[in-house]
Amino acid sequence: MNKYIFSIRSFYLTITAIILLGFSACKIDEILDPNGPSLEAIVNNASRSDLQLVVTGTESLLGKQINFYYFTTGIIGRDLYLFTSADPRYTGEILGRAESVLDNAGFYGTRPYSGRYITIRNTNILLEAVANNATKLSLTTEEVNAYNGFAHAIQAYELHLALNMQYQNGIRVDVADPDHLGPFLTYDASLTAIQSLLETAAAELGAAGTSFPFTLSSGFSGFNTPSSFRQFVKGLQARIAIYQGDKNAAQGFLNESFIDVAGDLYAGPFRHYSSASGELINEVYRTANQSEALVAQPSYVADIEPGDDRISKVASRDTIALDGLTSTYDVVVYPTLSSPIWFMRNEELILIRAEARIGTNNAGAVDDLNAIRNAHGLPDYSGATDDASLTDEMLKQRRYSLYAEGHRWVDMRRYGRLNQLPIDRVGDDVWQELPRPVTEVQ
Amino acid sequence: MKKTRLWLFFVLMTCGGWVQAQFTASGTITDAESNPLVGVTVSIRGTAIGTVSDIDGKYELNVPTSSATLEFSYLGYSSATYAVTSGENHINVSLSEDVTRMEEVVVTGLASSVKRTNLANSVASVPASEISGITVPTTTEAALYGKFTGVNISSNSGAPGGGMSFKLRGTTSINGSSQPLFIIDGIYLDNSSIKPGLNAVSKAQAGGATTNQDNPSNRLADIDPNDIEKIEILKGASAAAIYGSRASGGVVIITTKRGQSGKTTVRLSQSVGVASILNPQGVREWTEERVLGSNFASKIDLYRQSVTNGQIHNYEDELFGNNGKLYNSRITVSGGNDQTQFYVGGTYKDEEGIVRNTGIQKESGRVNLNHKFNDWLDASISTNYIHSSADRGFFNNDNTGTTMGVALTSTPSFAQILPDANGNFPKNDFAASNFLETAAKITNNEEVNRFIGGGSLTARILSGQHHNLKLILNGGADYYNLNTTAIFPNSLQFERDGNGLNGVSLQGSTKNLITNMSAFLVFSHYALNGISSVTQFGVSQGDFNRNTILGTASNLVGSQTNLDQSGTRDLDQDRLLQHDRGFFGQEELNYKDKVIATVGLRGDKSSNNGDVNKFYYYPKASIALNLHEFFDFGSDNLNQVKLRAAYGQSGNFAKFGSKFTTFTSGIIDGKPGIEIDALLGNANVAPERQEELEFGADIGLLKNRLLFDITYYIKTVSDLLLEANVPWSSGFITRVTNAAELQNKGVELGLNYEVIRTSDLHWNTRVGWWKNKAEVTKLLVPSYTTGGFADFLGQFRIKEGHSPTEIIGVGANPDADGYVVYGDAEPDFQMSWFNTITWKNFDLAFLWHWKKGGQAINLSTLLFDLGGTTHDYDKIDLDPAHVLGNGPYRVSQIGVNSDVMIEDASYIRLREVGLYYTLPESFLKDVKLKVGFSGTNLINIFKYNSYDPEVSNFGSDGLSSQVEVNPFPSSKRFDFHIVAEF
Repeated sequence: MNKYIFSIRSFYLTITAIILLGFSACKIDEILDPNGPSLEAIVNNASRSDLQLVVTGTESLLGKQINFYYFTTGIIGRDLYLFTSADPRYTGEILGRAESVLDNAGFYGTRPYSGRYITIRNTNILLEAVANNATKLSLTTEEVNAYNGFAHAIQAYELHLALNMQYQNGIRVDVADPDHLGPFLTYDASLTAIQSLLETAAAELGAAGTSFPFTLSSGFSGFNTPSSFRQFVKGLQARIAIYQGDKNAAQGFLNESFIDVAGDLYAGPFRHYSSASGELINEVYRTANQSEALVAQPSYVADIEPGDDRISKVASRDTIALDGLTSTYDVVVYPTLSSPIWFMRNEELILIRAEARIGTNNAGAVDDLNAIRNAHGLPDYSGATDDASLTDEMLKQRRYSLYAEGHRWVDMRRYGRLNQLPIDRVGDDVWQELPRPVTEVQ
Repeated sequence: MKKTRLWLFFVLMTCGGWVQAQFTASGTITDAESNPLVGVTVSIRGTAIGTVSDIDGKYELNVPTSSATLEFSYLGYSSATYAVTSGENHINVSLSEDVTRMEEVVVTGLASSVKRTNLANSVASVPASEISGITVPTTTEAALYGKFTGVNISSNSGAPGGGMSFKLRGTTSINGSSQPLFIIDGIYLDNSSIKPGLNAVSKAQAGGATTNQDNPSNRLADIDPNDIEKIEILKGASAAAIYGSRASGGVVIITTKRGQSGKTTVRLSQSVGVASILNPQGVREWTEERVLGSNFASKIDLYRQSVTNGQIHNYEDELFGNNGKLYNSRITVSGGNDQTQFYVGGTYKDEEGIVRNTGIQKESGRVNLNHKFNDWLDASISTNYIHSSADRGFFNNDNTGTTMGVALTSTPSFAQILPDANGNFPKNDFAASNFLETAAKITNNEEVNRFIGGGSLTARILSGQHHNLKLILNGGADYYNLNTTAIFPNSLQFERDGNGLNGVSLQGSTKNLITNMSAFLVFSHYALNGISSVTQFGVSQGDFNRNTILGTASNLVGSQTNLDQSGTRDLDQDRLLQHDRGFFGQEELNYKDKVIATVGLRGDKSSNNGDVNKFYYYPKASIALNLHEFFDFGSDNLNQVKLRAAYGQSGNFAKFGSKFTTFTSGIIDGKPGIEIDALLGNANVAPERQEELEFGADIGLLKNRLLFDITYYIKTVSDLLLEANVPWSSGFITRVTNAAELQNKGVELGLNYEVIRTSDLHWNTRVGWWKNKAEVTKLLVPSYTTGGFADFLGQFRIKEGHSPTEIIGVGANPDADGYVVYGDAEPDFQMSWFNTITWKNFDLAFLWHWKKGGQAINLSTLLFDLGGTTHDYDKIDLDPAHVLGNGPYRVSQIGVNSDVMIEDASYIRLREVGLYYTLPESFLKDVKLKVGFSGTNLINIFKYNSYDPEVSNFGSDGLSSQVEVNPFPSSKRFDFHIVAEF
C-alpha cells in the first residue's frame, strides 16, 4: 500500500510561490523619511520658500529652551525662585543649598545651552543653503547680504547668551562644521569674536538694500528692514562693549542703535509667543497665586524705593514656602502665555548709555538715570555723582528696570559684586558660572 | 488528470523496489483512565509512514515490512514505542500524561520542530494550563511572570490595560529596543506603545528627562491569554537566529488553541473578583508641632479646625482605595471531524482599577479552523478580533503638579478636598490640582479595534516511505486602529482660572498594519539505522506601516471636547514604514536520536538599514548528544543524559528614522518654519548584531520523574546602536552610531520533580533559578549617564567594563567620573517555585517568585519628602546621627548623597495561587463543573519604600526600567471561578 503522492498542482504552486517571494526578496526601494524634510534637500536644493522656512524656523528656535535661561539666571541672580513640587533642583543646587553643587548634565544649564546652539545650527544651514543655491535662485548680492546679515546677527546673539551662562569657561564660537568644531575661546576672546560677528552682520546689513527678501514675525516689527534690523545689531554691539568694559565703543554703537531717551521703554525686538494653534507659548509664565509658582526673592520688594512703579512687576500672593524659602510675591513680568520676551529694549539702551557715560560724562549719566527714574514715577537722582555712587545707582536701576530679564546675575558679576547678592539659607552659594556641559567636557 | 497519473506511475516505477511483506497493525489508544485519545500520531520509526487515531481512539496502519517499531505520540502525553510483527499486530496502548513536558515539540526552524528530548537549545515553554489555568491574568505578559528561567518581565505601572517590559537573558540594547519579537500563529504581532500626548498637560519632558513619560500600555496586552495553547520563548540568538534581524531581544512564539476532531465540547467559565492596592504606604500623621515646623505653618488654623471637626483624611486611601470589581466571562467551543476542526473562543472582560474611573473592558473573539482538503493539502486559519477600552488615569512624572500621584505628595491629611454634597470639588491649596477632582473628571482612554488573521497552507508534494517534501505557505496580517482620548476639562483646578491651558482635549488615532508572508520547502528524510534529516529553505517578507495622528486642542469651548471646539489646536503626525526581505535555510541531522545536529543561515535586508539592499547574514549551529542512547547506564533511575551546545547570531534594527537627519516644524506668528532636529542621523546605520553561545545539559532521573537542566550562555551584542551625545555646540544633541559592545553571561537552572504520583494524589514541583550579568565590553564614545533625570537623582552609566544598568549617583568618595556606584538595576538572581497538587477532586497550584537584588531609583518618596507628607517622614532610622526624621534627612541628602533614593528592589511574591474543586460527575449529568478561588500577588515581601519595586516611569524604552515617579500603584486580586464543560 505504500505510495508516492505527487501533485502537479502543488508543484506549480511551489514554483509560483518561490518565484513570487524570491523576486520580491530581490530589491527594496529606499524610503524617504515620511516625517519631515531632510537636511540634504534643504542644503543642496533649496527654493526661495525653503529659505523663508529656515528663517522662520530660526526665529522659532530663538524662543525655545529659553525659559530655562531666565529661570537659571534669575535664580542665581536672586531675582526670583521657582517653586515646583516636581523638581528639587530649582531650590537645591541652583541656589547651592548645603553641599550641593551644579551638575554639568543638569537640564537647567544644558537645555538653554544646547538650545542656543541648535538655533546657530539652523542659521549655519541657512548660510550654507544660501551659498549653495545663490546662483540657481538668482539671488542678488543684496539678498545674499540680507540672509547672511540676519544669520550672523542671530548667531552672535545666541552665542552671547551661551557665554553669559559659561562666563570664564568660555565657549566655542566656530561651530560651522559639526564634525570639526572650533576650539573653546576664553571669555574675553569669546566676547571679541561675538563683537566681530556682530560687526560682520552690521556690514552685511548695511549692504543689503532696503528690504529683506524674507519676512519676520511681528516680534521684529519696526526691525524688519536691513537698516532697522542693523539698529538692533548696533544695540547688541553696545551691550557686548560694556561687557568688554569698552565704554567708549559702547557709546559709538549706541548712536547707531534704536536708543530713544524719550521713547517707549519697551520699544525693541522680542520673541513672539502666542497661545494660538501650533505656536510657541511663553514657558516662563506661571499662573499667579498657585502652589506651582514663580515668586520674587523677598529683597526685590524690601529694597524698592517708595513710589517706584516697577513694584508692579511682582504681585502680592498667599505666603508660599518650600525647602526653607518663603515668598509673598509672584513674579508677573510675563503675565500670560503669550507675553513677549524681549531680545533687547530701549530701556536697556538708555541704561547702557548711562553706564558708558560714568567716568567721562557723569552729568550725562545722571540725565539718563533720571530719564529711567522719572519714567517709573521716581524723582530725580539726588545722591552723590562720583563714579562709584553712580555705578551703584546704575546697577540698582538696571536691577529694577530689567528685572527677571536675565541681567542681574551678569551685571553683579561684571562688577565683581556676586558676594552682595542676598543669601537666603545658611550654606547657600552664588555661582559664578554654570559648569561646561557634560558633552563638551569629553 | 491523465498526466498526473502518468507522473505517478513514473515515480512509482523509479522509486519502487521495497520489500513486499506487509501487514496491518491496529489497536486502541487510551489515556491512563481508559478514555479514548483522539488524534494520536502513530508512525513507523525511521519512516514517514503514519496515521492518527480516530474518534474512538482506534488506529490502523499498514506496515510495509514484516516487523516494525511503532511510535505513539500525542501533545501533552509521554510518547510510547511498541514493536509489532505480522503475528502480533494488535496493540492497545495507554499513554500517560507528560507532566514533565519532555515529549513536547519545540520549534527549531521556521517550518520545523523537534521533540524536547532532542532539542539542542534551552527553549522555555509554558502550556495553557499554566498561562490561564490558575488565575485570571490581566494580560498575556502578566501570565508569564516567573514561569521562564532567564526571562525578566517587569510591569511599568499598575494601570489597567498593562504596560510591561521584557528582558530575555539581560539587556540586549541600550538605545534600541530590548523587547522581543512576538509571533502568534506565524503572524508578526505589533507590540508598540503609543503615547496619548499627556505631556501637553504634565510637561513631564520639560525637565531633566526628555523622553516620553505618558506610560501607554503595550499592544501585546490585546491578546487574550485564554486562547493560548502554548508560549515558547527563544531567549537568545542561538535559538532565535532563524528570525534574523528582528530577534535580538529574543522571540516569543505564541500558539493558540485549535479544535480536535471528535465530540463538540463547550466550556463556559465565569470569574468574579476584586482588586485592591498591593502595598499602601500610609500617610504622615500630623501634630501641631509638626505643622508649625513644616511648609504648612501658615495653615495651622486649618489644621486645628480639621482636627476639631474630625476631618483628617487618609488621602492615599481616598485616591487608591477603590475596590475594583473584576468580571471575566468566557466561552470556548471546539470540535470537528476528520476533515475540519474548529475552535471558537470568546471573552468578555470588565475590570475596574483601584483608582476611581479607571478600568478596562475587553471583548475578544477567536475562530481557528483546520481543514484537510485531501491527502496532500492542509490549511489552517487563525482569526482574532479584539476590542478593548482601557481607562488608565493620569500618573507618573510631571512638571506641573497635575498628575494625581504628584499632587498627592504635597497634600497633607488635614487638607479639605473632598467634594461637597453637590459633588463640587474644592480647590486644593496644597497642590496644583485636586487629585480627587482629577480622578473624577479626566479621561485617559485607549481604545483598540484589532484584527489579527493568518493562515498557512501545507502541501505534501512528495511523500514516500523514507522521505517527504512539503511546501508550506504562511501569511498573516495584524491590523489595528488605536484611539487615544485624553480629556482635561476646563473646570479642573489646573485648567481653570488662568491655570494650564483652559481645558485640553487630546485625540490620537493610530493605524497599524503589519503583513508577513513566507514560503518554505521542507524535505524530510527518515532512516531507521542511518541519519535522518530535515532540510528546509524558504523566503520571507515583512511590511510594517504605522501612522499616528495626534490632535491637541486647548482653550476648550465650555465643556466641549471635539478638537474643533477649541481656541488652540495642534497636530502631530508620526509615520513608520519599513520593508524587510529575507531567506532562510537549515539542515537538521539526527543520528538515531543519539546525535542531533543543526546548521542554518538567515539572510535579511531592510529599508531601515543605511544600505537597503545589503543582506546581513545570521548563521546558527547546534548539537545535542543523548548519552543515554549511546550507553546503557545500567540503572532504571538514570534515564536521560543530554549534553547540548548551540551557537547563533541575530540582529536588531535601529529605531525607525535613525538614518535620517530631519527638520521638524515650528510655527511663529502664523507662519511655518523648519527647525533642525536634535538627532543627527546616520546614513550608514547598520543593525546591532548579537552572537550567542549556549551550553547545557539535561538529566532525567527516577524514570524521568526528576528532571534537571542547566544552561550557561554567553551573549555578545556588537555594533550596539547608541544615541550617543555629541558636543552640544554642534547644534545636535545626539547621533545614532554603532559604537559599543556588551556581553551578557548567565546561568539557568531548572528542576522538575514529580514528587508524588498516586491515583488520588499527584504533586509536581518545579524550581527555576536564573542569573545574568552584563558588561559593556567596548565603548567607542566617552562614557555617559542616561535613563534617569539627573546624576544626583540616580542614573544609569554606560561605561566600558561596567554593567550597562549600573546605577550611579553623587556622594562621598566618587570615582574618576565623579560618581558613586549605588547598585544595578539587574537582579542578583531570580528564582521561581511552581507547584501543582491534585488530591481527588481538588487542584491546587501556586507560584512563588523571588527576585533577589537589583536596585530601583525611588523618586516617589523624594517627592513625598519635598511635599512633607511621607508616611515615614518623622520616623528616625536613616540619619546616622539619629537627629533628623527620615523625610528631612532624605531632603538634606539631595544633591549630596544619592544613596537615599536608590533602593533595593528585591521581592518575594506569591504570584499566583489557585484552588479548584471539580464536582463529581454525579452532580450534574454530562457536565463537568469546577469551582475555585485564585489570587494574584496575594503575598508580597519587600523592603522597597514605595508601592511596588517593579516599576518604570519611562515605559519599555531602552534601559530605563526601575525608575519610579509616582506611578499608578500595583494591585493584587482575588477571584472566584466557576467553569462548566459539556
